[in-house]
Amino acid sequence: MKLNRLIALLAVLTLVLAACGGGDGEATDTTDGAEPDTTETNGDGGAAADFETISEGVLTVCTDAPYPPMEYEDPDNPGEYTGFDIELMRAIATNLGLELAVVNVGFDPITSGLAMESGDCDIAAASITITPERAENIAFTDGYFSGDQSLLVLVDSGIGALEDLAGQSLAVQTGTTGEIYAQENAPEDTEIVSFENPGDLFLALESSQVQGVLQDLVPNQDYANNNESAAVVATYPTDEEYGFAAKKEGSEALIEAVNAQLAALREDGTYDSIYEQFFPMGG
Amino acid sequence: MTPRQRQRAIRATLYVALLAAVLAVVLFADWASIQRNFFRLEIASEMFPEVLTRFAVNTLVYTLAAFVFGLALALVLALMRLSPVGPYRWIATAYVEFFRSVPALVTILLVNFGVPLAFGRRVPGGLFGIAAVGLGMVGAAYMAETIRAGIEAVPRGQMEAARSLGMRPSQAMFSIILPQAFRIIIPPLTNEFVLLIKDTSLLFVVGTTPLTRELTKLGRDTMQSMGNATPMVVAAFIYLVITLPLTFLVRRLEKRGARGR
Repeated sequence: MKLNRLIALLAVLTLVLAACGGGDGEATDTTDGAEPDTTETNGDGGAAADFETISEGVLTVCTDAPYPPMEYEDPDNPGEYTGFDIELMRAIATNLGLELAVVNVGFDPITSGLAMESGDCDIAAASITITPERAENIAFTDGYFSGDQSLLVLVDSGIGALEDLAGQSLAVQTGTTGEIYAQENAPEDTEIVSFENPGDLFLALESSQVQGVLQDLVPNQDYANNNESAAVVATYPTDEEYGFAAKKEGSEALIEAVNAQLAALREDGTYDSIYEQFFPMGG
Repeated sequence: MTPRQRQRAIRATLYVALLAAVLAVVLFADWASIQRNFFRLEIASEMFPEVLTRFAVNTLVYTLAAFVFGLALALVLALMRLSPVGPYRWIATAYVEFFRSVPALVTILLVNFGVPLAFGRRVPGGLFGIAAVGLGMVGAAYMAETIRAGIEAVPRGQMEAARSLGMRPSQAMFSIILPQAFRIIIPPLTNEFVLLIKDTSLLFVVGTTPLTRELTKLGRDTMQSMGNATPMVVAAFIYLVITLPLTFLVRRLEKRGARGR
């Protein structure tokens, strides 16, 4: 019968598939930029050959927006992002001969490394504080910005410092050093409420769900500058630095290239001019 | 080929196709990586007993809050829909259409952030209150329709008989119609309960504290701190443990309801 033969053929095909398929179930901890010459990246062009990017000729950057003035949607360029992190990344990418593409993935996929591991992006720029715990899951570049923690409150609240929040609520962003700082330094009976989205912190303050926001000085100050209702009442200096982050394994070439660029951009003044652009009062 | 042979051939082909698919999955999947990333026993065991004694309980508490609030509101809405007073009908219809169209996540955000900004007062009760009111309002929209359908499914003869016995319409509704309606709608209401269980996973968006978290938020937070996806699998498993008995219950109730008539 013709159909019996068809079935037999299908069965054979299945076995062939099985035999071939056996070799392909490899672990995906591969190394993209496995090429051994990971040394110098001197300024323009040619450096892109030292590491591979997800998209040819493009440096794909993950971020967690909105987080002004570090990363936020460009009001003049809808659909595009800008901010200190983004513009610094853009300068680095240009010097490496790459275009810049930005993907907004959220903070937790970045600090856990999932976003980079799963191929959403090559590198993350999201005001990520360098900590030893995070360094276990992701690879950091050199620090490029110093961060301090700060407390933002509504102007008529009468709150002047973290201690005044005893018995009140404090908003932090999930998985940030601000959350850790709050857990370690806020009064015992302060309710620490964690939000996933950095933008919701301000909403919570304005709607009186919380009486204070504890996070990096930069976004708090930016909000206070743009909103008369809130003010930064306290700053807590830390030794924290922000770094860019890539996946733990296989991104050595990329990290080295970015580090070299960071040094170059500081030397030739580009870093300072981007800084002036977003922190005009030198804050 | 005879029809019977053709049937056998088709069936054989289907089995072979299934075998091919299963083999493809078994052979192409990286089982070592799957076990390492999703099924690490030591990470899973660290989550117990709190995941059950606190966080599963939180999930259930929020679900109950939403269900009770929603059911009460749904009853009111259903009666409004059936009311002879025009504006009541319109308001109830508008409510149902709005909260069934708008995503539950948006409703939760509006209740938590929008209400205080608009009216200057917060919904009391913290996350519990937001679950009750936010999720409850969404559940009410769906349950109102269910209750209305249940009321309308009660034979008209019941209302006529009650009226002819001298009962006022409200007496008839509350002592005769509604009890019968509820028997009809218990299966779909239990279904709605299961949907609410899953919708509690949206509550994280209005901010949580380590103690008020529900299962999904716990899963995600633990995923971050462990750098592994096993906690999410644990959370999913516990959702299964909670909802599967309920869905079996729904099926039993449906069968019993059908028999009872």
